[in-house]
Amino acid sequence: MKATNIYDEKHKWIMFGRDPDKPEGIIDTNQYLVKTNDRALILDPGGIEIFSNMLAALLHHVSIDQITDLFASHQDPDIISSLGLWDQALPNAKLHSPWLWEGFIRHFGLNSIEYVPIADEGGTIDLGGVKLEMIPAHYLHSSGNFHIYDPIAKILMSGDVGAALEPAGADIFVDNFETHTDKMRMFHQRWMPSNRAKNDWISRVRKLDIDMIAPQHGRIFKGENVGKFLDWFEALEVGTVIN
Amino acid sequence: MYKEAAFVSSASMAAELELVAKVAKDMSISVKNAKAIANRAGAKARGFSPITDFIDEMSIDTMKLVSAINSESTALSRVAISELRTREAYTKFIQVKVKSNDTRHIASLNASIETLRVKQEQEQAELIKYAKKLKSLMDDISQKMAVANVIVSNSRIEAVNAEEYRSNLETIADDIDKSCETIRNRVNQSFHRLENAMDQWKRLATDESYKYL
Repeated sequence: MKATNIYDEKHKWIMFGRDPDKPEGIIDTNQYLVKTNDRALILDPGGIEIFSNMLAALLHHVSIDQITDLFASHQDPDIISSLGLWDQALPNAKLHSPWLWEGFIRHFGLNSIEYVPIADEGGTIDLGGVKLEMIPAHYLHSSGNFHIYDPIAKILMSGDVGAALEPAGADIFVDNFETHTDKMRMFHQRWMPSNRAKNDWISRVRKLDIDMIAPQHGRIFKGENVGKFLDWFEALEVGTVIN
Repeated sequence: MYKEAAFVSSASMAAELELVAKVAKDMSISVKNAKAIANRAGAKARGFSPITDFIDEMSIDTMKLVSAINSESTALSRVAISELRTREAYTKFIQVKVKSNDTRHIASLNASIETLRVKQEQEQAELIKYAKKLKSLMDDISQKMAVANVIVSNSRIEAVNAEEYRSNLETIADDIDKSCETIRNRVNQSFHRLENAMDQWKRLATDESYKYL
């Protein structure tokens, strides 16, 4: 599994993905690690099928004891079906996830890790001095859904928002925004159910100082592509199966 | 020879033996009918009463045994699933260890692997303990059914003397015989399932490829 440093200052952001050993037929996912001096948080740790490769890749950067927190933006299997295995590896960790999904996510197997429910209005994860904001993104696409904003690194981990369906081995960053929209359109129109939720999210996100939007599938938006993405998404009609 | 996964075998046993409880209950009702007929027949079916008393008692015992088997097999099934998950985690952790032995923080995984190894050993020991207990409970039922066979044969001899009640009593003896046969078959199937599961657990417990560390 490929690991890419996307922010490397006093704390780090590392993206894991583009796994050449991933079994055929499962959607490619991006996992993120936020690492401070002595603690680490995995954002959307991924599905059970990629667990071994993800764990192996992580151990290049952190020890097991440093991983103190997990974050699951919502309940989907590609986000957190590996939970039963993390539960055996990190018995003292905390899982931050929407309160709405607690009873559902526990079906993946949760005996030791502490489930920390996120209230609808969001909250903060204090990772030993680095404060990460949990930004509500309900109905984008899940009915209980959060993104992570790091005001120091100016990175917004945006879950399924900004996702693209691409062949294996795609680049990490969006290079040509215009051609990239072809890979995002169907995903957003089909998976995102609510224009109202989408526009509410855009108006809140526009107020944040963002250098990178980092989705869970596809490529990262950097610099001017952040604004381009927000404009494109604002103009896009979603929930189109009903229309 | 069953080739199903051990955790499926352990879960299937409880379901299979549920039917044994139902058959034992039906058997108890048949025996109560036989008792009523024997009472009506009076001296003509004098030898029948102790037989029906015995079978009645035996069917109640069988129901109790099935209830004990149910709770043991439910516990066995729970441990079997937990062992499966522990084994899955253990296998994945070992894969990481083998694949990435030169990785910087790989040693930090050792404690988790050791915890899982100990947990797996404990669960495997627990599985064998539950399985042995279940085997002994199934043996008890099988023995009861063997005795019931002899008793039912005796009841047929007694029925011959019951004159006009003979055909009713013979029908009841046939019903009890069929019930015993069903119970025997079910217990036998469960027994094979249990042996299949035990074989797999024993193989895993001695599998050298799991002794990585």
